[in-house]
Amino acid sequence: MSDETFISIQGVSKHFGDVHAVDRVSIDIARGEFFSLLGPSGCGKTTLLRMLAGLEFPTMGEIYIDGQAMSSVPANHRPVNMVFQSYAIFPHLNVKQNIGYSLVQDKLPKAEFDAKVGEMLDLIKLPGYEDRASHELSGGERQRVALARALIRRPKVLLLDEPLGALDKKLREKMQLELRALQRSVGITFVFVTHDQEEALTMSDRVAVMSGGRYLQIDTPTKLYEAPQNREVADFIGTMNFFDARVRETIDGKVAIDAGPLGNLTASPGSLAFSAGQNSLVAIRPEKITISSAKPANGNAVQGVIDDTAYLGDRSHFYVQVNGVEKPVAVSAQNVNQSQLSGEGHQGQIWLSWSDDAIVLLNAD
Amino acid sequence: MSSVSSKQGSRFGALGVYAVIYLAFIYIPVMFLPLFSFNDSIFIAFPLKGFTLEWYRQLANSEGMLDALYNSIKLGCVVSVLATLLGTFAAKAVTRYRIPGRGPVITFIMLPLVIPGIIMGIALLVIANMSGVGLSLFTIGLGHLMVSTPFAMLVMVSRLEGFDKNLEEASKDLGDNPWATFRRVTFPLALPGIVASLLLSFTISFDEFILAFFLAGTETTLPVYIWGQLRFPTQLPTVLALGACILMISFVVVTFAEWYRRRGVQLKTNSGV
Repeated sequence: MSDETFISIQGVSKHFGDVHAVDRVSIDIARGEFFSLLGPSGCGKTTLLRMLAGLEFPTMGEIYIDGQAMSSVPANHRPVNMVFQSYAIFPHLNVKQNIGYSLVQDKLPKAEFDAKVGEMLDLIKLPGYEDRASHELSGGERQRVALARALIRRPKVLLLDEPLGALDKKLREKMQLELRALQRSVGITFVFVTHDQEEALTMSDRVAVMSGGRYLQIDTPTKLYEAPQNREVADFIGTMNFFDARVRETIDGKVAIDAGPLGNLTASPGSLAFSAGQNSLVAIRPEKITISSAKPANGNAVQGVIDDTAYLGDRSHFYVQVNGVEKPVAVSAQNVNQSQLSGEGHQGQIWLSWSDDAIVLLNAD
Repeated sequence: MSSVSSKQGSRFGALGVYAVIYLAFIYIPVMFLPLFSFNDSIFIAFPLKGFTLEWYRQLANSEGMLDALYNSIKLGCVVSVLATLLGTFAAKAVTRYRIPGRGPVITFIMLPLVIPGIIMGIALLVIANMSGVGLSLFTIGLGHLMVSTPFAMLVMVSRLEGFDKNLEEASKDLGDNPWATFRRVTFPLALPGIVASLLLSFTISFDEFILAFFLAGTETTLPVYIWGQLRFPTQLPTVLALGACILMISFVVVTFAEWYRRRGVQLKTNSGV
């Protein structure tokens, strides 16, 4: 992946009547990057993708692909292709005609046409499927055919609109890995739209978390999970415990905070700025909290009572009532040894502990 | 087990009797047409007198009736093509574009469906006389276009709504200009609807009576001509012969249309995810 900007979305808005589906978004995407737009339905991610495809045009702003302004370029002249959520396999055409659909304009000799389609069928691991009718394909096969059809002319950008949404869980996980491998092998820039955070984190180089037509944060999957910039992102990606806190003082790049029931804590501010007396939010991931029956010798700790337990096989979730904290604190523990399985070892008062490093400090909204 | 099957048997027996009576009620009157068209008597009554092709011979020589038939076919062809074109464009507009006032527009297009034919006939007659257009096949054609366009649009809306609009977008995305998209995707997928709409509007025009009766000039359509002939008992067997011919042709056309529609339905189910 190079750092060269390949797609540049500059101040783009899209209004449908009074609805601002996309609101002044600016994003730069690098050549060869696997970039995801993640957000709940109605957050504007699909509209943004459709504007990249040329199926919608921005109300304001400009999109550049490979340095070329796109506002006057219709969909059929853009160097991008799209995999639709419904796959949009042409029902009146067979697999070969579907995959070779965009080649017909080139008026290739039959042998060359067949060779190109065959090459794509090998790529998507469906060799010999040329003459299958579209209704004979399973969901996963349709998805692959849609992929091959979009890739056959080697577009500069492949747009994917929730292409895995219609597949069952096992197949989806398999296709996630295959899609990632495919992207590496063809080296094409992928822009991927999904509402599934796990999918976005697994596959992407970078993810834009979107909400209400704007993006909240653009970062690598690790950064999004470990260092969210605000409460919405922290809440949307994975599970997060939040505690109200107040900044006492900032010393040597560290922030001393009064977190009420959790006591006095010290955290690193990350890229955010804090000043003394400011209201803030302490956020801790469930797996970064340790549960124990005895008080830990040192470090941050608070006492609580287990309210509820959920067994998930590889790990268990505990919901712990802590005095002064409204919502039960979620704790996730690996089931390394069998005695810990159902939380039998933890009855009555237990202790929760975490390191300074586990704390994400956010601005209170 | 035997009791169950006998119970089912009696149930189907009752249903079977009902079905036979139902079919007889619908089709026996119609079957009298071909039957009496071969009967060697000008009176429509049993017992049958004998077999003859005389009425078919007279039909072939009846210039007035053949003219009316020709007028009806001509009118039906023109009306069905125009109604299907208008219906297709209207259906495309309401299913594919965000147009202001979509609801009222659809209501206005559909309104002729519920206006009684006699009201529309009188209204058109008044307008034709007032504007000095004069009554002719042309005015009948306009009337028929008004009543068949809503049907054509209904057929086309259901067809266009029946397939994923992403298909047209996919074609655009894959490099097709609007004309190529229409030729390669929209038209082939809409074809069963177009055929159904052509057949439907042709049939509506072909057997429409009231509007044609009000708006006819010197040239009439077949239904109006037949109605005129009923005053002359000697002409009745010829009308029966014509009726038998039309019945035969309708049977072939409807069978074809149904076969084609089923093919369309199959395509539609295939397009699902």
